[in-house]
Amino acid sequence: MDNNNDKISDLKKKINSIEKSHQSESMPKKESGVSFGFKISTELVAALVVGVGIGLLVDNYFNTKPFGLIIFFILGAFAGFFNVYRVMRRIEKQ
Amino acid sequence: MSASGEKHSPLEQFEITPFVHFEVGSVDLAFTNSSLAMVITTAVITLFLTLSVNTRSIIPSRVQLISELSYGFIAQLLKDTVGEQGRKYFPFVFTIFMFVLIGNMVGMLPYSFTFTSHIIVTFALAAVVFVGVTILGFAKHGMNFFSFFVIPGLPWYMLPLLIPIEVISYLSRPISLSVRLFANMLAGHTLIKVFAMFVITMPFYSGVLPLAFIVALTGLEILIAFLQAYVFAILTCLYINDALHLH
Repeated sequence: MDNNNDKISDLKKKINSIEKSHQSESMPKKESGVSFGFKISTELVAALVVGVGIGLLVDNYFNTKPFGLIIFFILGAFAGFFNVYRVMRRIEKQ
Repeated sequence: MSASGEKHSPLEQFEITPFVHFEVGSVDLAFTNSSLAMVITTAVITLFLTLSVNTRSIIPSRVQLISELSYGFIAQLLKDTVGEQGRKYFPFVFTIFMFVLIGNMVGMLPYSFTFTSHIIVTFALAAVVFVGVTILGFAKHGMNFFSFFVIPGLPWYMLPLLIPIEVISYLSRPISLSVRLFANMLAGHTLIKVFAMFVITMPFYSGVLPLAFIVALTGLEILIAFLQAYVFAILTCLYINDALHLH
């Protein structure tokens, strides 16, 4: 019996060490430069698209022709920069 | 490509052709080649996952190993990004990952159809993720979820400027998610077809060069097919994490 327990604790140690080595090497860097650039640019463009969309909607509803578009375009651009900043920070953390 | 058609556009492969016409009211619900590709994808995933683990042997066969690896891959991904709480959302993430991955792979077969190269398909997928994550956020935190749009430690006079920016940034998620997958697949498949044209049009035997390039590109496309499914899954995990933990 004692022998068996020894074996089990031995096995546990082995499993733990393997799991630890797995954790350190998980999430490897698989991204190429192209996909990285693409990620950044879509983040930037998507926020602009949403900003312009909201701006046009606001203009339609409230008849404020150019101003809604102008304001929300600028806000959208800021949101795009924020997105890029966030993606960069996430990558820095890894 | 038939001689009578003489359509040599590299975009021809993305054309939707209905097989069975079916309309409800004014809504066209025809069964198209895109639908067929999706049905095939679902069938392949279901058959593969059920048959491969059917034996349940402790020492897995190669096929069983593949499905176990794909399970472990997503489980690890969820653990790394969301933590133990993320267990609950494993079926959702795994379904999306497998659907996009196998869909891309089915699209790599000659004469098949890549449904992920249509923005409406990827946008529908991204919208499911977006709406699901938003509902999850409200269910977990109630009205507190709105505090997600407030960056902590900010002076109050900056809030009117930054809350709209945060909201726009949040709304841009499904767009960037869907455009990334769609544009990658569209660009890759178009590029392969463009190089295929060079094979035909180049004089003498110099068409071998673009042919060799197509072989390399196909390899790259398979890598991208996997990578985009991975990116879709990891972003879904990150969004779930945001909804659960707020910042």
